[in-house]
Amino acid sequence: MIVAAEGETQINVAQQVEHLENTASSLRGHVLDVKGLTIAYGGFVALAGVDLQVQAGEVLALLGPSGCGKTSLLRAIAGFVRQRSGQVLIDGRPIDGLPPERRQVGIVFQNYALFPHMSVAGNIAFGLEARGARRREIAERVDGLLELVQLGGFADRRPAQLSGGQQQRVALARALAIEPRILLLDEPFAALDRALRLDMQIEIKRLQRRLGLTTILVTHDQDEAMSVADRIAVMRDGSIEQLGTPVEVYDRPANLFVAGFIGTTNALPCTVLGWSNGAAQLRMQDGGTLALPTEVPPPAAGHNAILAVRPEHLVLHDEPGEGRFLVTLGLALPLGGQTIREASLGDGTALRLIEQRHGAIPRRSSQAWCGIAVGATPTLFEASSRKDP
Amino acid sequence: MARRPNLGAASYVLVVGLLAALALLILVGPVLVVLATSLTDSRAIRFPPQGLSLRWYELLLDTVRSRPIHRAAGNTLQVAALAAGLATLLGTAAAIGISTMRGRLGRLMDAFFLSPLVLPGLAFGLAALVYFTLLRLRPSLELLVIGHFIVITPFVLRTVGASMSQLDPALPEASRSLGAGPWRTFRRVTLPLIAPGIAAGGFLAFMASVDNVPVSLFLSSARTDMLPIRMWGMMESTLDVRVAAVSGLLILAAFLLMLVMERLTGLTRRIRG
Repeated sequence: MIVAAEGETQINVAQQVEHLENTASSLRGHVLDVKGLTIAYGGFVALAGVDLQVQAGEVLALLGPSGCGKTSLLRAIAGFVRQRSGQVLIDGRPIDGLPPERRQVGIVFQNYALFPHMSVAGNIAFGLEARGARRREIAERVDGLLELVQLGGFADRRPAQLSGGQQQRVALARALAIEPRILLLDEPFAALDRALRLDMQIEIKRLQRRLGLTTILVTHDQDEAMSVADRIAVMRDGSIEQLGTPVEVYDRPANLFVAGFIGTTNALPCTVLGWSNGAAQLRMQDGGTLALPTEVPPPAAGHNAILAVRPEHLVLHDEPGEGRFLVTLGLALPLGGQTIREASLGDGTALRLIEQRHGAIPRRSSQAWCGIAVGATPTLFEASSRKDP
Repeated sequence: MARRPNLGAASYVLVVGLLAALALLILVGPVLVVLATSLTDSRAIRFPPQGLSLRWYELLLDTVRSRPIHRAAGNTLQVAALAAGLATLLGTAAAIGISTMRGRLGRLMDAFFLSPLVLPGLAFGLAALVYFTLLRLRPSLELLVIGHFIVITPFVLRTVGASMSQLDPALPEASRSLGAGPWRTFRRVTLPLIAPGIAAGGFLAFMASVDNVPVSLFLSSARTDMLPIRMWGMMESTLDVRVAAVSGLLILAAFLLMLVMERLTGLTRRIRG
C-alpha cells in the first residue's frame, strides 16, 4: 500500500513538473523591460530614470544598500507603486496601466506574508481560486506544488506551525501557483539562518532553472547576489551603478562604490606618473613606484588616484623589491586554508590581505613589503571619483 | 547580608499585593453588595440583607406589575442593538479608511472621530437635544439610536484601528499579486484578520449603549423610556428593591457576555492594545 501511495505521489510530482515546465516553456521568453523609470515619494526620489532589461529565464539581482531604490523598483514592477515617469514592459507590452492582480507577477515577500488564517493548502490555492479555477484542478495543483517544494503532508498545517524554511517553501509554491510571468524575490533569504540559507538558495535556483522563470532578486547581501544571480545590478541612490555578471562586477568594478560594495577592496592612494607600453606608472605613498598593466588609459599624469586591490591580489614579501611598498602588519586570522591578515600603510590606511596557508601561519616581523600578485588586475580610479559607500 | 535583597523583594511583593487586594475590594465589593442586596427578603434596600429570597426577582419578572421596567429594558436592548450595529458597520469602515491615510490627516481624522469619548456625555446630550429640537424632531427611539451611535462609535474605531495597525501590509499586497482584486482581497484576507477586533468593538459599543445615561437622559421621553433612566426614577421615588434585582441581572449578563467574548476574541487583550 505504502509503495503504491509513494508511486502515486511520484507520478503526481512528475505531472506537476511537466505541467509547470510546459507552461514555463510557453512562458520562456518573458522579457522584462524597464525604461526610464522614475519613482518619487513627495520630494524624495527613490528611483531616478532607471533602464534595465531582464532576459527570459535570467536571474537578475538588484543589489545595494538600504535606500538605494531596489525595493521601489520591485514594487513598481509588482504594481504596488505608481511611477512618476517611465515604463515597465513584459514581452514588449506596457503593464503600467494594469493593477497588481492582472500583472501575473509572482512575489516571495521578505517575511513570506503567508495568510495566517489559512492552511498551507489554502495559501497555495488562493491564487488559483482568485482566477476561478475548478475545485478539482486546484486540489491537484496544490498537491503537486506541495510535492515540488517537498512539503507533502503539510497541507493542513497553519503557517505559524512551520519553520522559517518551510514557510518560505510555501511562499514560493504560492507564487508559482499562478504561473507567474516574472518572479520577484524580495530579500527572500534574509530571515533564514546561514546553513538553511544556502540550501534554499540552491533549491530556488534549481527550480528557477527548471521552470525557466525570469526572476528578479532583491538583496543587500553580495554573497547571495553572486551565488544566485546570472547578472547583478548594483544600485545606489536610485540609479544603477553597474550591471554585469558576478565575475564582471567583481573583477572590473565600474567605480569605487561598486568595488567597495562587492567583496572587500583595499583602496591604495597613489599618484599617476604616466602611461606607457600598456602599463601605468604609479607612485605609491611611501615613495616607491609601481607599474600597473592596464589597457584602460589611467587618469592624466600628476593626478591623484586610488588603486582598488582585492585582498587576494596582495602578496607579502620579506624584503623590498620592484613595485613593493612597506606595510605594518597587524592581526592574523586563520580561516581554514586561508589567513586573513590586517596591515596598514604609513599614513594609517588599513589594508586587508588573504594569504593562502601551506603550513603553519608564517611568523613575520612587524613590517613587510607588499606587492601586487602576478596576473592580478587591480582597478585604478581617479581620486576625485571616490565616494564613500 | 544575603537576606537584605530578599527582605526588599518580600516587602515589595507585600505592598503590591496589598494594593491589588485593596483595588479588588473597591472594584468587586460593590458588585457583591448589590448582588447580596437583591436577594433580600425585606421591603427596603439594605445591607446586609434581611433573610434570603428571590421575591424581588419574581416581582421583576412579573409581566403585569413590572411592565414599565420591561418596556424600558426592551427599548434599551433595541436601541443598543441598532446603535451598536450601526457603529460596528460605519466605525469599521471609518477605521479602515483612516488606517490608509498617512501623516497628519490620518491623525486628525482619528482624533476627530474619537472626540465623543472625550466630550462630556451630558454636554453632548444637551447639545443633541437642542439640535434635534431645532430641527423640529420629536423624541423617538430613532433619535436615541443616533445619539447612542455617536457616543459609542469610538469603541469600534479603537479596536478596529488597533487591528488594522497590526495587519501586515504585505498580506493584502500578496493577495493582490496572486490575482485577487481589491474586494476579494478585503473579503478573504483583511476582513477575517480584523474580525476579532470588529467583534470586540461591537461588544464594547453594545455595552456602552446599554449603560448610557447622559445621552438617554436628554433624548428619551415617557414613551421611549430607557432602563438606566427608569432605574434612576425608581431609586428616587420608592427605593424599590427591584433596582437591585435589575442590577443583579445586568451584572450576570455582562459577566456571561464577557466570558463569551474573551473566548471568541481575546477581548481584554484588545482593550489594552
